[in-house]
Amino acid sequence: MANQKSSIKIAPGAVVCDESELHGDITIGTRTVIHPKARIIADAGPIIIGENNIFEELCCVINKAPENSTPGSTQAVMIIGNNNVFEVGCNVEAVKIGDNNIVEAKASVGREVNLTSGCIIGAACSVTCSEELSDNAVIYGANCERRIQKERPPAQTLQIDFLTKILPNYHYLRKPAKQSTPQKS
Amino acid sequence: MAGTLSLPDSEVVQYLCACKKWNSIYRLYICRRCFKIRCGDCVLHEVDSPYCPNCLENMPSAEAKLKKNRCTNCFDCPSCGHTLTTRATSQMIPNPDDPGKSTPKKMYYLACGFCRWTTRDVAIPDKPIASGAWEDMENPDAARISTLLEHYQLLAQKEKVEKERKKYSRRRSHLMYAASMDKYGLVSVAAKRKGLISAGPNPTIKENEEINIKTIKEAVTVEEFPPLPDEIFTEPIQLTKKTSISQRLAMSEFQPSEAVELYPRRKHLLIRRSLRCKECEHNLSKPEFNPLSIKFKIQLIALLYIPEIRVVPPGELKYKKDTKIVLTFSNPVNTNTKIQFIQAEGNEGEKVTAKIELPKKELVLAHRDVPAMYADMPAQQDFKDDSSVVSFRKANKLGIIFKVTPLVQEGDVKVCFVLKHDYLNTAATLPSENEEPEIVWLEHRVTVNLGPVTSSK
Repeated sequence: MANQKSSIKIAPGAVVCDESELHGDITIGTRTVIHPKARIIADAGPIIIGENNIFEELCCVINKAPENSTPGSTQAVMIIGNNNVFEVGCNVEAVKIGDNNIVEAKASVGREVNLTSGCIIGAACSVTCSEELSDNAVIYGANCERRIQKERPPAQTLQIDFLTKILPNYHYLRKPAKQSTPQKS
Repeated sequence: MAGTLSLPDSEVVQYLCACKKWNSIYRLYICRRCFKIRCGDCVLHEVDSPYCPNCLENMPSAEAKLKKNRCTNCFDCPSCGHTLTTRATSQMIPNPDDPGKSTPKKMYYLACGFCRWTTRDVAIPDKPIASGAWEDMENPDAARISTLLEHYQLLAQKEKVEKERKKYSRRRSHLMYAASMDKYGLVSVAAKRKGLISAGPNPTIKENEEINIKTIKEAVTVEEFPPLPDEIFTEPIQLTKKTSISQRLAMSEFQPSEAVELYPRRKHLLIRRSLRCKECEHNLSKPEFNPLSIKFKIQLIALLYIPEIRVVPPGELKYKKDTKIVLTFSNPVNTNTKIQFIQAEGNEGEKVTAKIELPKKELVLAHRDVPAMYADMPAQQDFKDDSSVVSFRKANKLGIIFKVTPLVQEGDVKVCFVLKHDYLNTAATLPSENEEPEIVWLEHRVTVNLGPVTSSK
């Protein structure tokens, strides 16, 4: 696993700060924002990130090998859909992540969890069991109480627009793979 | 004083209250008339005014009672109890003048920022105005409750008339007592009878008139419950769609079992209160009336008048071995304070596990001088401290050396002594009288926990 060479594909329109830590085989979709000091580590297999996602500071998305795996076993591809938000300091190992999910600050999501769509993992909540969360599930509070939301959380379009405008003013960006021209704002 | 306030040494140094309870200095008051320490349990708590903790609107007690002690504008989340916030959205509604076009209109709904519950989750329609449009649900038992209330009001009235007939002479004081206890809104009725309030349109009850009490329908015991529906045995239960016990009990009138029946609950009011000494009835703590203000008109907390004791972490404390420890005393008042130590006699419920040797001489704590503390100026006064007793002196602080002999082989080392200090009583004299303020000596029994004994291995 360690001999994997880093290959990062950034679609045009994505904002990936240079101070972010990206390792392994990562594909980043358009209009996805990755803040400085965010960590995306494709250790045990590639990570494919969709469009309009936000990865905030100190969030950690790892494609980590399961503990009982043997070297050379089949790799799992971690697929992250669209319109997801990973807030400050969250820790995500889930391999399957759908659309419109929010992982709030300091929350932690285990590898076996399947985040479907519209799920919200509340601040400091930890979900590690092997389970598929139903659509629009909300986990909140110190005891990780659960409820089902009627509507999925709204997409953070305005925030993404703002960040794509502001972040390049203060940070160096990683260049998109195909075109070197800066994206239109 | 409730809450999870964590202060240094809160369990380490304890003072004995006048009601014989041990408490940390941060939780105590001092009465300037009886010169006694008071704690939250031995003072009179008085209601100043109820107020909403969210919008900080305050109202008289009578109005709060009418509103069932809940705020009219603020709501709590029925799902998690967090305060709900109003959110605005724009909705397209058809234009009445031109049916083909639609105009945007602002609509409001309530949302919880914590668990993300919204009024839309439970299909409550959005409201066209930001506040005031959220009406309460009709209580199914409202009629029964009001008949019961009326019944008991009549009963209380009858009881009162009978009592008054007996104690005619003492009626005035009785009425004053009733005013503070106005349980069923009777004071106005009683006052009316006395002619204190001008007679309103309501028929007044005459002195000798019998109040006839109608019998009300008796409460019926529920003996049978409807059987469980068949689905409960066949369908898997979805816990996320059910309410929890705490959610149900928070809406005691309705107790919904399904999550879709939750309804925003009105926020409970809190009470701004003042404290009064039980013995001399002087105020110990009186906040300003406005709930926005965090200032006090009267604030006689012990921390502002009694020297505060802190423990300098001791070295090794060994069984039956004399050890020198240092306690820091800081003076909170603007005058120099003399302190003395007296061996504690008897037992007031403390567990003493060590012998303490106290300095015999009187010591002086320098006055508290805030500018000097920040400017780090050397002390202007020379106290000629005896270095065998005083470990250090800095501003209003004084480190005093005590000799402690632990008398246990394991567990915490606890000592007890009486701290005696002088106190300038400014309360008793008026500023117009050109008299020197009276100096009183106060004695406080103090226990100090010095931490565990070092095992002798």
